[in-house]
Amino acid sequence: MKLFFFLILLCQAAYSEDAVRIQLWHQMIYEHRLVLSESLREFEKENPDIVIQETYRETEELRSSFQAAAIGGSGPELVYGPSDQIGPFATMGIIQPIDDLLGADFIRPFDSLATPEFLGKRYIVGASVGNHLMLLYNKKLVSRAPKNTDELIEMGKKFAATGKGNYGLVFNYTEPFFFAPFISAFSEKTDNKEFSLDLDVTALTKTFEFILELRDEHKIIPKECDYETANALFKQDKAAFLINGDWSWGDYKKAGVDFGIAPIPLISKTGKWPSPLVGTAGYSVNAKMKSDRHKEATIRVLKYLTSEKAQLFFTSRVGVLPSLISLRESDVVKSNPLLQVSTEIMKLGTPMPVVPEIRAVWDSLRVQYQKVLAGSSSAADGAKNAKTLAESQIKDMNEVLQPDASALFIKIITLLGILFLIWKTYPAFLSFLRGFQGSHKFVYYMILPAFIGIFAIIIYPFFFNIVISFSNFSLKTFQDFSIVGFQNYKMVLMDPQFYSLFLKTVIWTLVNVVFHVSIGLFLAVIIDQVMPMKSFWRTLFIIPWAVPQYITALTWRGMFNQEYGPINIFLQNFLHLSPVQWLSQPLTAFFACVVTNVWLGFPFMMIVALGGLQSIPKSLYEAAYLDRANAWQRFRHITLPLLAPVMIPAALLGSIWTFNNLNVVWLVSNGGEPGDQTHILVSYVYKAAFNLYRYGYAASVSVIIFLILVIWSLSSLRKQFKKEQKA
Amino acid sequence: MIEISQLSKSFGTNEVLKSIDLTIQDGEFLVLLGPSGCGKSTLLRTLAGLEKIDKGTVKVGTKVINNVDPQDRDMAMVFQSYALYPHMTVAENIGFALSLQKKSSAEVAKRVQEIGKLLQLDQLLERKPKELSGGQRQRVALGRALARQTSIVLFDEPLSNLDANLRSQMRVEIKRIHDKVKSTMIYVTHDQMEATTMGDRIAVFKDGKIEQIGTPNEIYHHPRNLFIASFIGTPEMNFIEGTIVGKVVGSATGTSSVLGLRPEVLKINLGELGPKEKDLGVYQIELSENLGGELLLHGHLVEDELKQNVRVLVDSSENFSKGQKIKLKTELTRAHLFDKQTGARKAI
Amino acid sequence: MIKKTFAWISILLFAIFSVYPLLYIISVSLRGDDAFQSQSLEIFSDTSTFKNYSELFFKTNFLLWLRNSLIIATMTTIISVALASTSAYALSRHMFKGRNLMLFSLLGTQMFPPTMLILPFYIILSRLQLVDHFLGLFIIYSSTALPFCIWQMKAYYDTIPKELEEAAILDGCSSWKTFYKIILPISSPALAITALFSFMSSWSEYVVAAVILQDPLLYTLPLGLRSFQASLATQWGLYAAGALIVSIPVLILFMSIARFLVSGLTLGSVKG
Repeated sequence: MKLFFFLILLCQAAYSEDAVRIQLWHQMIYEHRLVLSESLREFEKENPDIVIQETYRETEELRSSFQAAAIGGSGPELVYGPSDQIGPFATMGIIQPIDDLLGADFIRPFDSLATPEFLGKRYIVGASVGNHLMLLYNKKLVSRAPKNTDELIEMGKKFAATGKGNYGLVFNYTEPFFFAPFISAFSEKTDNKEFSLDLDVTALTKTFEFILELRDEHKIIPKECDYETANALFKQDKAAFLINGDWSWGDYKKAGVDFGIAPIPLISKTGKWPSPLVGTAGYSVNAKMKSDRHKEATIRVLKYLTSEKAQLFFTSRVGVLPSLISLRESDVVKSNPLLQVSTEIMKLGTPMPVVPEIRAVWDSLRVQYQKVLAGSSSAADGAKNAKTLAESQIKDMNEVLQPDASALFIKIITLLGILFLIWKTYPAFLSFLRGFQGSHKFVYYMILPAFIGIFAIIIYPFFFNIVISFSNFSLKTFQDFSIVGFQNYKMVLMDPQFYSLFLKTVIWTLVNVVFHVSIGLFLAVIIDQVMPMKSFWRTLFIIPWAVPQYITALTWRGMFNQEYGPINIFLQNFLHLSPVQWLSQPLTAFFACVVTNVWLGFPFMMIVALGGLQSIPKSLYEAAYLDRANAWQRFRHITLPLLAPVMIPAALLGSIWTFNNLNVVWLVSNGGEPGDQTHILVSYVYKAAFNLYRYGYAASVSVIIFLILVIWSLSSLRKQFKKEQKA
Repeated sequence: MIEISQLSKSFGTNEVLKSIDLTIQDGEFLVLLGPSGCGKSTLLRTLAGLEKIDKGTVKVGTKVINNVDPQDRDMAMVFQSYALYPHMTVAENIGFALSLQKKSSAEVAKRVQEIGKLLQLDQLLERKPKELSGGQRQRVALGRALARQTSIVLFDEPLSNLDANLRSQMRVEIKRIHDKVKSTMIYVTHDQMEATTMGDRIAVFKDGKIEQIGTPNEIYHHPRNLFIASFIGTPEMNFIEGTIVGKVVGSATGTSSVLGLRPEVLKINLGELGPKEKDLGVYQIELSENLGGELLLHGHLVEDELKQNVRVLVDSSENFSKGQKIKLKTELTRAHLFDKQTGARKAI
Repeated sequence: MIKKTFAWISILLFAIFSVYPLLYIISVSLRGDDAFQSQSLEIFSDTSTFKNYSELFFKTNFLLWLRNSLIIATMTTIISVALASTSAYALSRHMFKGRNLMLFSLLGTQMFPPTMLILPFYIILSRLQLVDHFLGLFIIYSSTALPFCIWQMKAYYDTIPKELEEAAILDGCSSWKTFYKIILPISSPALAITALFSFMSSWSEYVVAAVILQDPLLYTLPLGLRSFQASLATQWGLYAAGALIVSIPVLILFMSIARFLVSGLTLGSVKG
């Protein structure tokens, strides 16, 4: 206990300085991070009364933890990120408009792209503009950029022919953001200067077809290409062209690549330019301020970070385009040919939409697009489905459920339920309290601390979820949700997708547990009965268990990589098979998840089985041997029945863990890829809550999952119990 | 002196001890004997304080100990499973209770040495229980109970996990120790051989009640009822059912009764009858078992229409063959008569 | 003979299966800047370098994260072992009203999708003003680890014969002394496993830590490692090197208590 207080003191000591502490969460890539930190240290030197703590968070994580922090009533004073995150944050009311905070005079000198409006107010001050995609070409490999796509294909093919593993064009094309620029080029609308929520099905179909053509007909882009692969191929001089954003320049310069930039080439078929999305990356201010001092300090930090001085510093170091118009004429910008070209490219661009609904569009695009790429859907169908899906997701997101009759019913039932519980448990509770004086008080004191902890930390969240599962807690009602009744449950239970996910989850659990138990049992029996050096083998097979899960998941994702994963390399080099696109086909991606999870789960079962085997008397085997039972019969009639009481609880626990295992599925399939077809129920819950902001809905799915598992374990425990009674 | 009066104990609806009255003298070796599930172990555990008493009182000396914690009862116990502490050496096991009493380590060590010598454990003191044989473990368990020098030592079937040879050795050893330390010892067993060889007195249990209490001789020669008669003695007593025809003291003519004859009181009738002896008629041998020094014959009396099995113990030097017929006699004073309905002993 | 060959072949195959991913991490961690994309299966090559490791130790806050993780994991382990060993003992040895309900609700805590617990966790901790405090993490980690630890300890206690405690009581032990002089020492295999479990769960936990720890000075290893994975540009070499170093202490712990694992991991018992 003493140690505890000591630690609290330690923690507090760090804060007890007199300075105001301002927290800044950002999602800058590594190179930018270093610059940010340098300029902040500089600021702190000039302003000793302010301490800034900058924290890197990955995009999704920044979003979810900022939401959680905001609900909890805290969170960083400043958030740095791309403009598209202000839509959701502003809707939730967790960032505040800057118009009044900073004044019109402050905002005026900025490029209008840097201070986009959302519902009539501004929520972000951009520190740079751009973030747009363009074509990068490796000057060592090609002399110039192509004029149009026909030329791009021609030049690309030529380069690809120069060697195995060379590609004409690489880019993270499975991600909708990277192919979005093409959509407008295929659109028939003349004035298409806005990326709208209303997807253009014809244009989308043509875009899908175009990408497929590049991949399958002209073969100038790799079969599978994520951001890192594209990056590496370009750096290793294995790709002539690359589509990437302005943020990536620094990285290539550092790697010594001599590259030039150009707009994404004109589409020969339509004669139109692809239009990259242009946005800003900048700072937003938390809606809640801890004190006026914090507020004042926050404004100072914000003003500093968007000041000429700071922007110039960034531009000179990482070459981003400043958001202050005045700086466009500065030497730093003028002397940077890349920035000059980039500014021109930007003119072809479309402003990045900031409305929260855009997320639904991206999401449904990604889902359908990946299906098209995997060949499980035609381009036309994919486009049509993307539109429908986007519309329904936008509807789901914006829907504010209204209380219906059942809301009152639930409130009454809950009240009655609580009264009933109190009435029922009161005597038990009293006798529990009395227990502290009775002859068994020792027992009560032993149990108390653990259960207080469990109750406080696990039971509260549990009831919290039950409450919000009956509520309309979502994007629009982030700060003031109300109980609406059974509607979330109705939606879940009437959605056919729920049942298919449930089925998939059952299959997932079943397959995993069967493999865990059978491999574990198999190895345990072999180690126990055949192998010399038992402890060596035992230790060896524990390894998968000892590696932290998230490391396991990401490692296996790497191993399943189509091009560089050792699994495919092995298939090619030793078995002379063609490489498998493990992660881009639903079935193989699911297989990859299963393999990963089997890997990390079998040691547990093996150890449990080994423990059980130890306590089976050897005489039983000798007796069976004399009865002329063969190895299989001995296993079937002695090992199996005697191990059952040990293995069944382990398998039950294993099935619960597997059913709820988010880590593996989420990390291996990168959030359900391809096309949301690798989800199990828990990852679906995660997505609904943290990507689509539908907390109420997600909570009701969780409660249903919980009920399913309770029923499942009660029924299997009862079976086990009956068996024990018979025996 | 331990006085148990009106003691009852139930587990749920199952009453395992039914109003037990029992007085045990200081220094006595009392054996609680009975088939399994008869409540004898429960009585022992109630004495130790491991089970609560539902009704009745237990007095040690003049003090009622119903609510005294087991730690404070000044009793030691030897368990059937030995219950040695697996993480302690033999010496630590034996000395554990003493070290809990804040005795100095020298004192503890001295006592452990004494016990070690008494039980021939001197060579094993530094071993862990799992390195010992069954007999050695048994001795350690005994040593642990004796180390504290309590005035009462309880034994819960301590020898039942040993083989026959070791068991008879340990019987003698425990008896020897009892003579030496003079503690009151209460010994639970289901083995009547142990009971008769060791006990100063035996209390025979059945269904939660004491059926008879007395010295081994009393129990053997004057069993109070059919149950005790059948439970005590190997080979088991012969029971011949029948109806009283003549005039017998204490029972009317015509009552169904059981005549109990121990196999060793049946003799071969070579034609001479002693003063108290009586002829039993012709006996047909069906099987003979060689017990080493003696032969145990199985067969029936020819006159008996029911052909009830009768065992006869004869000297093994004689030869008998299957189907052979011999004449039997017995001493009437050594025969027992029981009521068939109640099983109670009747006078002859 | 055939049986032996079969056993050897299958065990070697599984050995490769279980060791290879670790070798793969090693191999990536030894590659240079962008050699993640390599089409060779060799673990060590001419270009192998310890650059990533030196960068990890000298240019990042790795040692700070290591220290934080050690503090958190150790404290969590101590708390969970202390609480699990005591309450599981009571649950194993004493029948009282609501005992079965308690046991089942312990299992029940494993059944709610953990992701949905994060938000309420955060709310509790922020009410208690424990956001950004190690104490907040101790509380959450130990109470989430407890249900499994209690089950596991209880199952082990169930296998200890009651007579041992009775003997101890007659030898003059109080309930508490019986527990810590007799029961605890006998249960050391199960204690070791409980400790291992709680250590591991807090050592490699990421999601809760990400929400609760906002101060980079308080970052734990998983959080630190994650920062090598930027949204679009992962530093694979650094990541792999870090991942390896994170795994090593757990591996060592596992190996050092491997002999306890087999006897101590009891979720039910064989009735021989």
